[in-house]
Formats: sequence, C-alpha cells, structure tokens
Amino acid sequence: MPYRTNVLVCAGTGCVSGNSFGVAQTLENEIRKLGLDQEVQVIRTGCQGFCAEGPIVIVQPDGIFYCGVQQKDAVYIAQEHLLKGRPVRKLLYSPPAEKKPIPALKDIPFFAKQRLVVLRNRGAIDPERIDDYIAVDGYAALVKALTEMTPEQILGEIKKSGLRGRGGGGFPTGIKWETCRKAAVSRAVDPVVVCNADEGDPGAFMDRSIIESDPHSVVEGMIIGARAIGAKEGFVYIRHEYPIARERLKKALDQAREYGLLGENIFGTMMNFDIEIVQGAGAFVCGESTALMASLEGKVGEPRAKYIHTVEYGYKNRPTNLNNVETWANVPLIINRGAEWFTSMGSGDVSENPWGGSSGTKVFSLVGKVKNTGLIEVPMGIPLREIVFDIGGGIPEGRSFKAVQTGGPSGGCLPESALDMPVDFDSLTEAGSMMGSGGMIVMDDQTCMVDVARYFIAFLTEESCGKCVPCREGLRSSLDALNRITQGTGKPDDIGLLREIGEVMQDCCLCALGTSAANPVLSTIQYFKDEYEAHINKGVCPAGVCTALIEYQIDPEKCDGCHACVHGCSTNAIIGNVKQVHFIDKEKCIKCGACVEACKRNGILKVPRSHAA
Amino acid sequence: MKQTHGQARLPIEDQDFVDGVIARYQERPGRLLSILEALQEHHPRKFLPIEVLDYVAAKAGIPTAQIYSVATFYALFNLQPQGENTICICRGTACHTRGSRNLLERLKLELGLRAGEEEGGADKISVTTPDGKFTLRTVACFGQCALAPVVEVNHSILGHVNEQALQREIEALEGRRK
Ligand SMILES: Cc1cc2nc3c(=O)[nH]c(=O)nc-3n(C[C@H](O)[C@H](O)[C@H](O)COP(=O)(O)O)c2cc1C
Ligand code: FES
Ligand code: FES
Repeated sequence: MPYRTNVLVCAGTGCVSGNSFGVAQTLENEIRKLGLDQEVQVIRTGCQGFCAEGPIVIVQPDGIFYCGVQQKDAVYIAQEHLLKGRPVRKLLYSPPAEKKPIPALKDIPFFAKQRLVVLRNRGAIDPERIDDYIAVDGYAALVKALTEMTPEQILGEIKKSGLRGRGGGGFPTGIKWETCRKAAVSRAVDPVVVCNADEGDPGAFMDRSIIESDPHSVVEGMIIGARAIGAKEGFVYIRHEYPIARERLKKALDQAREYGLLGENIFGTMMNFDIEIVQGAGAFVCGESTALMASLEGKVGEPRAKYIHTVEYGYKNRPTNLNNVETWANVPLIINRGAEWFTSMGSGDVSENPWGGSSGTKVFSLVGKVKNTGLIEVPMGIPLREIVFDIGGGIPEGRSFKAVQTGGPSGGCLPESALDMPVDFDSLTEAGSMMGSGGMIVMDDQTCMVDVARYFIAFLTEESCGKCVPCREGLRSSLDALNRITQGTGKPDDIGLLREIGEVMQDCCLCALGTSAANPVLSTIQYFKDEYEAHINKGVCPAGVCTALIEYQIDPEKCDGCHACVHGCSTNAIIGNVKQVHFIDKEKCIKCGACVEACKRNGILKVPRSHAA
Repeated sequence: MKQTHGQARLPIEDQDFVDGVIARYQERPGRLLSILEALQEHHPRKFLPIEVLDYVAAKAGIPTAQIYSVATFYALFNLQPQGENTICICRGTACHTRGSRNLLERLKLELGLRAGEEEGGADKISVTTPDGKFTLRTVACFGQCALAPVVEVNHSILGHVNEQALQREIEALEGRRK
C-alpha cells in the first residue's frame, strides 16, 4: 500500500448516528490542507463493535484507538497525530472509572480477549470496495471451491468442520446442505439458497454488523453453498430496519456481478448463480424458516408444521436451504483454511458427529447493564464470566450482577451460579436457556426478573402469528398472570399456572416461537422464584421496578424546597412552597421517576408501597 | 363490496402510479410486500388507504382478503395516516433494561396520548396525535443496542437518550412548526 498511514473511520450505523461521516469528511479536508494526502488515507470501515464509545477512529499501523470523536476533534487528530505524530490524549480510550488512557486497540480489555474469525475484516477494510476484500484473501475460497473441489468435497469439508447454524437452532450446516442437494437431485427441481438476515431478536445486532463491515464474506459463503447444493438462485431476506446494511449488501452484489462472481459462467465455469435482496416488513416470526418462506412468497408469515422440511419443500415448494448470516460468513474460512483449523477452536468433539460439540467461534452482542457494550466474537466454550467481566468489564455504577439473558426473547435468564459455565450450544440449553442467534443482555440488581419475564411474554404475545391455539392462548394467559403478579394482585397458584401453561406450550405449539416461548418464564421461576413469591405473597418488588408496588417519597431531611422537582413533574403531583419541604400527591403521581432525576440533593426516595401506607 | 367501487374512487394519476408499481414487481419474490411498501412510501402521509388496497386487489388479481391480511400482519404497514413527525421508541431488550419504558410513558404524557392506563397490555403501539403532528410508535429493536436506549426521530437514530434529551427534541420539532 502506498500510504504511510491509514485512518480508519467507523461507518457502522451506530457511529454514523454520531456523525462519523462528518468526522471522515473533516479528516480528509484537513489532510489535504496539511499536504498529507499522498501519505495518509481515510478509510470508511464497517462497525468496529465498540459502538457505545463511538464515533470511533483508528490510526494504523500503530493501532491507536480514538473514541467519541466529534468533527472538531478531527482537526486535532490531523494536526497533532497525523502531522506531528503525537497521539491526542484526550480522545484516547480510558476504561470506566480509570484515568489512565490506553492508546493501542490491542491492549484494550474489550478487544484483547476476542478471537476474530467471522469479524476478521471488521474495521480493517472498506466494506464498499470489493478490491479491499480481495486484497485480504477474499474470494480465494470461492476460486478453490469452484476450480479445485467437487460439490461433494465441499459438503464433506463443511460436515467435517462441525459448523452448526448460528441463527438459533444450531443445526449442523453440512447435513442441511446435503439433504437439500439430495432432495433437489431426487426430485429434479432447482434448489434455492437463502440467507436469513431478518435478525428479529430484540437486543441483538450481530448480523447487521457482519453485513455492514464485511458483506462480501456473506456473498462468498452463499456462492460456495450454491455450488455445493447446486442452486442457481439465492435470496437474502433482510429486515427493513437495517437501511445501511441493505445498501452495502446491494453494492457488494453489484460489484460481485461486475467481477463475474455472480451471474452466468462464474469464473468461466459452468456455474450460474445470482442473489436477490428481499426486504422484510417487521414481523419477528418471519425469522422462522417456514414463515420466512411464506413471506418470500409475499404472504402472511405464518409458520407451518415441521414434518414437511423446507430443505425439501420450501420456497415455492422447491428444496430450500436457509442459513443465518453468520453461518454463511463462516463458510469461506472453512474452505480456505480447512475443517481441522476450524475444529481447533471450540468445545466438545465434533469428529464423530457434529452434534458432539460446538466448533469455531460465535459473535455476540453484549448489551444491557455492562460497562463495555458492543459486538464481540469469542471462541465457543469460553466461560460466561470472561465475557461479562473481562470483555464486558463488569457491571457499571457499582451495581452487582444478577442475570444474563441469552437466546433472544424465547431464551432464558441465567443467574450468577451459571457464570462459570462454558458458552456453547449444549451447555446453554442444558441450563434452561439457549444460544439463539447471539444476543446477550446483562442485568443488574436493579432489574426485576418478573418484569423481565413479563416483558418477553408481552413481546411474544404481540409477535405470535395467532395460527395455533396453544401459542396464541397460552401466551395471552401467561401475560395475564404476569400482569397480575407485577401489579400486586397475583394469586398463590399463579406460579403453578405459569409452569403448567409453559409445559403445554413446549409440547403442543406449531413452531419454535411457541415451543420456546415459555423459556423466559420457566427459567426465571427456576432461578428467581423468590422474586415471584415476594411479589405475590408480600406485594413487594425487591428490585423496585414494578410501578404498582412502589411509591416515591420526599425525604424531609434533605428537601430544601428548591422547587426543581416541581418543574420536573409533568403531572403536577408535587406540592410545596419555595423553601419549604415538598410532598408528593399520590393520587396524581404516575411514578415516572422524573423528580428523582430533577432533585440535586438525592432527596426523593423510591420505597415499597407497603412502607408508606 | 364490488372492486370496481374501489377503482372508481382512486384518481387516475394514482391509478397510473399503482399500475407502474404492480408492473415493476410482477413475478418478483415477495411481490405483494414490495408493492405495498412502495405504495406506502409514495403516499405523503405514509399509509395505505383502503381504496388503494381495493385497487391493487382488482388490478393484480390478488384477493382483497389476502391483501388486507398482509397489510395488517406486518408492522411496517399503516392503515391510518401518519403524523408529520414520527418518533419511534425502541422497546427491545437492551433498551428496556436501560429504561425505555419510562421514555415511552413520558412521551405519551408529553404528547397528550393516553397515559399508561392500558399498562399490562402488550407494549406495541402506534398512535398519532389528534392534530396529526406526531406519530408515536415502538419498534422491537433497531440493532443499535449498544447505544441503548435508542429513539428514532424522523428517521435519524439517537442513542443514549434520556428524558431531557427527548424533551428537547420534541420542543425543537414543535418550534420548527411555528
Ligand atoms: C420465532 C423464530 C425467529 C427466528 N428468527 C431468526 C432470525 O432472525 N435470524 C436467523 O438467522 N434465524 C432465525 N430463526 C431460526 C431460523 O428458523 C432458522 O433456524 C435459521 O435461520 C437457520 O439457519 P442456521 O442453520 O444457519 O442457523 C428464528 C426461529 C424462530 C422460531
Ligand atoms: S458502529 Fe462504529 S463501532 Fe459499531
Ligand atoms: S434493543 Fe433497542 S436498539 Fe436493540
């Protein structure tokens, strides 16, 4: 590369919302003004994963990491760092509660324990330039797969790697591909490959980030898959909330077509294959395979019973192979570096059969009440504790850890005692949760677990398609019970009722949305039953979250009558003259907590309802 | 009931537009979704009037019932006119644990929309103020969870939002109108 220095500016959605495009523009202007434009270039990269600290700028080759960069700061970076070689101290990252900044990316704890495989190119290349991808060995696996390998050999390699689906189910990818190929051959119908980029799990953004930072890796994986399965047609089903990801994918497809990597006679071989983007329309259940196929056909996304497999009869009744974004992105690496390299990472043993363990890495979105929120990639089998405390930096504001929720809305909540468990498909399932697509939401002691269960059940009640009775009615009744409990009118046998409904749903629902929908309730009852009992028997919400069970009081010792809370209150519930102790009219108070923030003297207390009676 | 009834109500220039959209997506996967999306995007108030649905049904040969079921199934489609400004609050898990419910409650109050009395029902909402100035809706997740809580105001994403910041946004939007 002719440039002495590369300035990598994050252009992922998170940083863009913090005006990173403005930062990049200013940097370019300054570089030109300083006459450095022959030596220094600005590269707009995909998401770096540390979105909470954005906008992020990295100066290579030294790997100096800047965070929270504003447009005016860009001028400094250019003048001080790029011209004079002096890193700008005030823009360096300091871990929370520490003063000493850490200049280099590789030393920052958030990055140090990660193992980047799928995300290897994140923030290192411009995702909108195919040449950048090719420069880092991109499409080399495709060349190999097309010119040196037969479809059977590709299938064999993927099977040997033990790769399991990253979208939720953990189904072995090689077996899925093989089944699809066989169905297509025996029925003599053209198969289809589909990439699931619906990413409906709230609290998760792995797939968005992969597409935004390295779209060609997904495209390359899909072409290799199409070769192995014998497909001529491919789709990416992407949710409409991801405009930047969609645009980048579209550009990637256009470039791939231009380079002859998609279309007819790819690389001069007999292979024809193209990919089309289809946009979702905001329905969680459409991430489910059969619902997704229905949606692809322009119908309502209602799942159907699973005894007819989509690998045999999927989109328009053709054999259809559906894989998640991250699954596809793993494929080129396995072909390039071999199954053995892949199985050297992970836990369990996949040499006999892929169900025996979890090979490779997994991308997680680590969010919630944790210091370092962001997107991480770790080897399978890493202890949960390392993720939450080493990479995540633990719980902010001096609070303590209560639970971590994995597996999306129908996953489960794991307590402190599970922290030393290895994170892989089977351990998580055994503990009553699941891997899901990779959302990891950390909760602190100010989180009410009954409220969390209620939250997920409310979400699933909305998103249930309503086709099968156990799901539709089971969720509704569970929500009723949880509402009672969080409002302080729970009945002693509500816990038993919730369990019973949950078990029926596990057995009887049509699709995995329903069969797993009770997980958040069952796992919170399993690990946090005392919180349920406190709500039901004592009318107390131990975490102080459920508004019906708490109230606000003004501490007469602390109130100096400054009136700040009166202005903060939108329902005029606070009464009192200036310089006199105020009090709260409970009839009017809606318990929004705005007064707590308004009070500068910490004079407003949240207390259990019973105490004040 | 007759579809010609719907057809008669749609102005000619709109009919031309719809015809063009239908032709564009003919034979494409998921065409009905794409058609409805294009039509909604084209409408100045970002919704699908019933006469448009009737017209599409007649023109594309898709039963009205199927179109209606699709339009009501997917959260993207609106059957009611949307406000001049759209504020969309994320109710995803990450945002929930970082206090997005308070933001929602606060905003409902601010805009004079029903205060939390339907608490307990599902949390998903899409409501427009009677003066048509604001639409308040919720979304399951923007995929910006590291910035939680996240609010989208007229299609730009705001991260780490608190009540004060939200209030300033609303005031700015109200100011702009005057
Ligand atoms: C309710 C529901 C929602 C789902 N949402 C997604 C999703 O958003 N993305 C995804 O990749 N898989 C999702 N899945 C899993 C898919 O059904 C399917 O298993 C997966 O896409 C297969 O790809 P994989 O084998 O590569 O994981 C969902 C499943 C269910 C039951
Ligand atoms: S968007 Fe910049 S770090 Fe994620
Ligand atoms: S949970 Fe709010 S953006 Fe994901």
